Amino acid sequence: MDTPPALYAEDPAWADVVPIPQYEGVSPLAPIFYTPEYKDATDYFRGILKTGETSERVLELTERIIRMNPAHYTAWQYRYKTLLALGSNLEDELRLMDMYCIKYLKTYQVWHHRRLLVTLLLPAPSTSPSPSPSSNPNPTHLQTSNPTLALLQLQEELDFISRCLSADTKNYHTWSYRQWLLSYFNHPRLWRGEVKWVERLITEDVRNNSAWHHRFFVVFASGHGEKGEDAVREEIAYAKQKISLAPNNASVWNYLRGVLDHTHMPYSTLKSFVEPYTVEQEGRSEDVVDLEDPLPSAGAELPCALAIEFLADVHEQEGGVEAVRKAVELWKSLANEYDTIRKKYWEYRIREALATQQ
Amino acid sequence: MSESPEPLPKLSRNGHALHCIRCLSGLPSSQMEMDASRLALVFYCLGSLDLLGVLESKSSNTDREAWREWVWEQQATGGYGTGFRPSSFMIGAGSNAAEYGEYDAPHLIMTYTALLSLSILRDDFSRLNRAGLLKFLEHCQRSDGSFCSFPNSTESDLRSVYCAFAISSMLDDWSGIDVPLALSFISRCRTYEGGYGQEPYAEAQGGTTYCALAAIHLAVSSPSKSLSTPPLTPAQRRQTIRWLVHNQHASGGFRGRTEKDPDACYCFWCGASLQILDVKALVDTRPLTEFLGKCQFKFGGIAKAPGEHSDPFHTYLSLAALGIYPPEIPEESWRFDTLDPLLNAKEDTARWARDNIPLKPRS
Ligand SMILES: [Zn+2]
Repeated sequence: MDTPPALYAEDPAWADVVPIPQYEGVSPLAPIFYTPEYKDATDYFRGILKTGETSERVLELTERIIRMNPAHYTAWQYRYKTLLALGSNLEDELRLMDMYCIKYLKTYQVWHHRRLLVTLLLPAPSTSPSPSPSSNPNPTHLQTSNPTLALLQLQEELDFISRCLSADTKNYHTWSYRQWLLSYFNHPRLWRGEVKWVERLITEDVRNNSAWHHRFFVVFASGHGEKGEDAVREEIAYAKQKISLAPNNASVWNYLRGVLDHTHMPYSTLKSFVEPYTVEQEGRSEDVVDLEDPLPSAGAELPCALAIEFLADVHEQEGGVEAVRKAVELWKSLANEYDTIRKKYWEYRIREALATQQ
Repeated sequence: MSESPEPLPKLSRNGHALHCIRCLSGLPSSQMEMDASRLALVFYCLGSLDLLGVLESKSSNTDREAWREWVWEQQATGGYGTGFRPSSFMIGAGSNAAEYGEYDAPHLIMTYTALLSLSILRDDFSRLNRAGLLKFLEHCQRSDGSFCSFPNSTESDLRSVYCAFAISSMLDDWSGIDVPLALSFISRCRTYEGGYGQEPYAEAQGGTTYCALAAIHLAVSSPSKSLSTPPLTPAQRRQTIRWLVHNQHASGGFRGRTEKDPDACYCFWCGASLQILDVKALVDTRPLTEFLGKCQFKFGGIAKAPGEHSDPFHTYLSLAALGIYPPEIPEESWRFDTLDPLLNAKEDTARWARDNIPLKPRS
């Protein structure tokens, strides 16, 4: 195939379109020195908007603009409109977008466009707790009516997200897209594999807070996780296990606190688990293996500030002069030795605790 | 202080001012992605000059007059009311720039940055179409309480909610938005960590946490409307403070999410959030300043992290963080006027906005 001319102005296939240059008014602030290709493409884009043309070549034009400026929200907006007007195959568009999502991972619009496409391609269940990103009613002729096929497509979408996350494990847009997809389509079969899936990411990087957040979303926040005491016990055991491998990890401690807060369990439930993490690593008999309360791993850096903080919270919750005195001692050790960057915060905790005692 | 710390490096005030002046005069083609958000970039540049206190010395009356004209040129009215566009990037030559059509509508975030930019430039706002602005806000709100960034768009998140609240607050008129509905959207963005995500179910993040807290407090502190909603329960407040202070990294800088690397802009987002919660005294300012000092780029401007390239966004937010947390023993170059954390502007600029943007100046 011949490469098309670099400029639309030189392309006979575009000779019928009148390009419209950008408005020039008062002397501009922070003007951008456009490349000739960008200026040319946007001139023709304004020309197209004037006539309201929706055609295959408009898809090509908007794609070219997006490649030069993926944050050009009007190009995205008009591309979407054109796809609908042409009754284009949205599957094809989604496959094209696979490439763009990876290339422009950090651009909001790429992911937003994807939400719109997926909303049109698949039927939404009536019980969806999330609003549709699209204000248009779903044109049913575009959707697959076969529920098994829909599930398969959703599963493919989840696989695609996994591939994107392997390129950038903490990308905010990618993660929110996954959370939206799950809650919007709200398919029971879809939720089922999530905990196992996210477990793999946590294993790869135990400090990936996005993965921990996702786990909490799936198990608790979404309302679709396993329910009951067993599930809660399992989550606590999982968090303890991860703490024993790498105690100085705020993500897992936040998760653990989240589970306790969510289920209204007192922090004191974990007192005996936490205590060994608040003191220096000492020689201990390796054969004592407590499955309920795993001990710190051999190389762990102890004492762990996050554990000391937790234990202080246990004492504070307990209340009473003696317990608060213990909490104050722990906060002092954080302020003066183990977490000095937050010295003022720990001193504030001491003041607050003593004040409520008066 | 326990040990005598190393002396602070100088803050290259002049270098940072020149970085912003350079950007205002033109951006290279590598910045084409700013085409659809240019007014925000202009705000970061003007805001930096304002915080540095050099707006008058680095520009002439004629310059500032021309800058005001350009910002006003972005105001446009149409079927969905009045707002400001990012730039003329979608307007065709020969059209009437004061009116918009389907594809060159104003943008909510740009409208917020336009009002602040004009306040920095001490405009009298006689040209502001206030009724149009209220109508615009109304059209941008969605049924779930969130706001689209432009009419009929399907993009929405907490940033737009904050901008709608800030605009209402500057107008001293909340009639354009359904506040309780928006507050319920904000509360759905809260996560188990104590921060707020960009949308419901998303991970807690410093920037969107600032948007949530500032919006809630703008609504509560609005003088014309007594909202009965308590901002946060005592337990929520404690949890949010904990999450925010834990985001300060041992290097002194703040991170935006748990266990990520520190980034200069989060020194503002998390730092201002703590001020909004009335506990700014909990931040250790010395290491914060040292971190920001290391983020200075050798050719001017401040970068997101040491060794990276500077940009107006990180320059402005770093200076704004210093407006909240000036070092305790201020070396002259680090001295700043105080900042209004809710509107994100220098205090006298925020006062100018509140005195001049409402329909009737308060007596
Ligand atoms: Zn940043």
